[in-house]
Amino acid sequence: MSGPITSPAPALSRRDFIKVSALAGGGLLVGTYFRFGVSSALAEAAPATSANFTPNVFISISPAGAVSLIAPNSEMGQGAKTALPMIIAEELDVAWDKVSVAQGDLNPAYGRQSAVGSGSTPGNYLPLRQAGATARAMLVEAAAQTWNVPAGECTTAGGTVLHQASNRRLTYGELASKAAALTVPSNVALKDPKDFKLLGTRIPGVDNEKIVTGQALYGLDQRLPGMVYAAYVKCPVFSGKVGSANLDEVKKSPGVRDAFILDGISGLTSGVAIVADSTWNAFKAVDKLTVKWNEGPTASEGSAKMAEQAEALAKSAAPAALPDGAKGIEAVYHYPFLAHATLEPQNCTALFKNGVMEMWCPSQIPGSGQRLVTQGLGLAAKDVIVHVTRLGGGFGRRGSNEFSLEVAAIAKKFEGTPVKLTWMREHDFAHDNYRSNGWHFFSAALDGAGKVVALHDSFVKMQGGPGDMTAGGFPFNVVPGAKVISNKLTGTIPTGYWRAPGDNGNTWATQSFVDELAHAAGRDPLDFTLDLLATIPAASTGGGQAGGRGGRGGGGFVAPKMVTVLKLATEKAGWGRKLPRGQGQGLAITHTNNAYVAIVADVTVDPKGVLRIQKLTAAVDAGLIVNLSSAEAQVQGAMIDGISAAWFQKITIEKGAAAQTNFDEYPVLRMRNSPPVVEVHFIKSTSAPTGLGEPGLPPAAPAVCNAIFAATGKRIRTLPIVDGDLKWS
Amino acid sequence: MSNFELNVNGVRHSVDVTEDTPLLWVLRDTLGLVGTKYGCGIAQCGACTVHLDGEATKSCDISIQDVGTAKVTTIEGLATGGKLTALQQVWCKLDVSQCGYCQGGQIMCATALLAAKPKPTDEDINAAMSGNYCRCSTYTRIREAIHAAAAAS
Repeated sequence: MSGPITSPAPALSRRDFIKVSALAGGGLLVGTYFRFGVSSALAEAAPATSANFTPNVFISISPAGAVSLIAPNSEMGQGAKTALPMIIAEELDVAWDKVSVAQGDLNPAYGRQSAVGSGSTPGNYLPLRQAGATARAMLVEAAAQTWNVPAGECTTAGGTVLHQASNRRLTYGELASKAAALTVPSNVALKDPKDFKLLGTRIPGVDNEKIVTGQALYGLDQRLPGMVYAAYVKCPVFSGKVGSANLDEVKKSPGVRDAFILDGISGLTSGVAIVADSTWNAFKAVDKLTVKWNEGPTASEGSAKMAEQAEALAKSAAPAALPDGAKGIEAVYHYPFLAHATLEPQNCTALFKNGVMEMWCPSQIPGSGQRLVTQGLGLAAKDVIVHVTRLGGGFGRRGSNEFSLEVAAIAKKFEGTPVKLTWMREHDFAHDNYRSNGWHFFSAALDGAGKVVALHDSFVKMQGGPGDMTAGGFPFNVVPGAKVISNKLTGTIPTGYWRAPGDNGNTWATQSFVDELAHAAGRDPLDFTLDLLATIPAASTGGGQAGGRGGRGGGGFVAPKMVTVLKLATEKAGWGRKLPRGQGQGLAITHTNNAYVAIVADVTVDPKGVLRIQKLTAAVDAGLIVNLSSAEAQVQGAMIDGISAAWFQKITIEKGAAAQTNFDEYPVLRMRNSPPVVEVHFIKSTSAPTGLGEPGLPPAAPAVCNAIFAATGKRIRTLPIVDGDLKWS
Repeated sequence: MSNFELNVNGVRHSVDVTEDTPLLWVLRDTLGLVGTKYGCGIAQCGACTVHLDGEATKSCDISIQDVGTAKVTTIEGLATGGKLTALQQVWCKLDVSQCGYCQGGQIMCATALLAAKPKPTDEDINAAMSGNYCRCSTYTRIREAIHAAAAAS
């Protein structure tokens, strides 16, 4: 892995690329698969032989013309397993239907293997183009040597090298052996994006057929001969440790092989491991387990107390004095903790044998899981082999890898026997690193013309984890003297990365408040926002969470791009129609992971307060689109995910533990709540692709809340929406 | 431990498990049919949906002893002779799946819906499919795929 996880890859230096190529040059691809022959990748990869052309770790071309490409990043539904090989195939110039794709295991030669921060595509775009272009250049060179013509006279198409002047052609397969004998060139020309044929088209996921037939294997689906099944029970209170447990009784439960306490391992949360002959017998034994916990200091923490602390903290910072004669507006917005609730619960499988820990990990950052295991158990990195499985959802949860260390610690006690650890859903809710709660205490002032002349936000969140506020983003960057004061709660509830960190709550609050200001000024929210955007210089250096945290990705906030998507979304949605009471439109924008997104929501709220989202219209500038099908799907899904959380979900902390234990208490949006019409419009671009897994999420909830206000006059200032009363008469 | 006879995807099995073992875990751990997923264990999410005599049923919520003589069909049993059903084909073509974890359950549920109502309305889809979570929120394309499969039949 290289660089900060949220940054797009800088232009790969020639030296770096040679390093990658050199690592791969000695047949590392082949070596990896043969040494660890049980790899799940093996079954998918084409048989690798010495006759294959493997110019780097990502590509293998057999003499028969079979092209195998490696997808280096974990697949969790974001489409990386299809999109990343598409980038290679584009530069390599092979027909997509001749390509097979294998998931890469953890391997330093693959470069950035973090599927986080919407970074898989922007972080791999250039290196993978170079990988494909290098291979293509070598195949061209092999053909040129064969025909004794200059390489510059040769062209490629669909896996074939052509020499037009003499009307000769050779397939990549025919050239594979000769190309394999050439030196890897260090600097090759890339295609002009205008000439891309594959990128930008709709390519269905490479595993679709496996998924619809139940053959796609997730972490939870790993099966090894003689495998045993484990559960691991930790204290519901986050600081808690095991005091004692009725292990003898648990061991008598049907099918239980062993039960023991794990404690004192660096990086591992103390708990009770139960190992049985089936998942069900392990889970049933958990019901019989009684533990005397030493709960620790977190037991005194609770959501109600946090709200009091937040208010005291926020009010300790006096808002800026309002200009004379201005109209003051104050509002408090609050969003709760959220769980990730990946549909595949956390799990991991491990086999410890001959001093080597071989693991099957559903992880967004497999390297971090490997580090936990090496540090916790004192193993060398070379002795911790990590196979990357498909992930049943990530959303940021699988960036942390505590399950890896838990199963490795259990497997170490069962030398020679594979162990699968499955977290019960209840444990998954109890031991998440939640999206932080947050409070925005806004105050603003409008002058007689309805212009915002003062803006102040006293923000409070749980300490640690992402999601802080600065005054760098929209709308703070357009109000002279605007101020953001950020305070932290002193609790110990673990928080972490949750799809579109920071923006997922803060954009809701700021975009709702901008809508409030528009209405207070008697302005149409679209005109009001366009006027605000017009005051930003063409390429401001600001980013920041209010208008998105795109700035963290390294790019400045380009106001005209935002204006373009906002105008497109509102035009497509038919913004500005006169609607009867109970119907409303709302809009919101974000600049997240360098993408620009505007969303319009159309809702109805009946007099009894039943909310229906009738339509979502999004316009997105995410640079060049790699795979139109998955890009569209990511935006559709991110919007509905954001609405699902805002409408229904909260984690409440009571006595230091999460009060919600399963989906009956933490509902996910269902088909009946899903908008019947969802439109996604992309701006055509040849700029480098931005991230796209997250940017569609932040503006969806405020667009819906602003539409609810338009329909009913009711302003949602506390999430989830379902806790409020939308009745009107 | 007790012995149970089971008919899964047209194949008879004899399994030796504790009586209260949910069908889900017999399929996954005993028979190795891991296309049926564990999501919640309390019949809320639908990832474990199978057919019992053609009816969509949450397999985490029915114990092996209550399955009786019902014929069990899992996601692995829908395609016959390597040929995907029309619904599965549409699902691939429209690129419905994202992470894919819930999709087996979604397809089992949608298959039962189309068997009962070959031309379902949006309201029929809402009623039939609302027991199945999709955490990636692929509902837009699920709806589209069901309509497309219905139109093609």
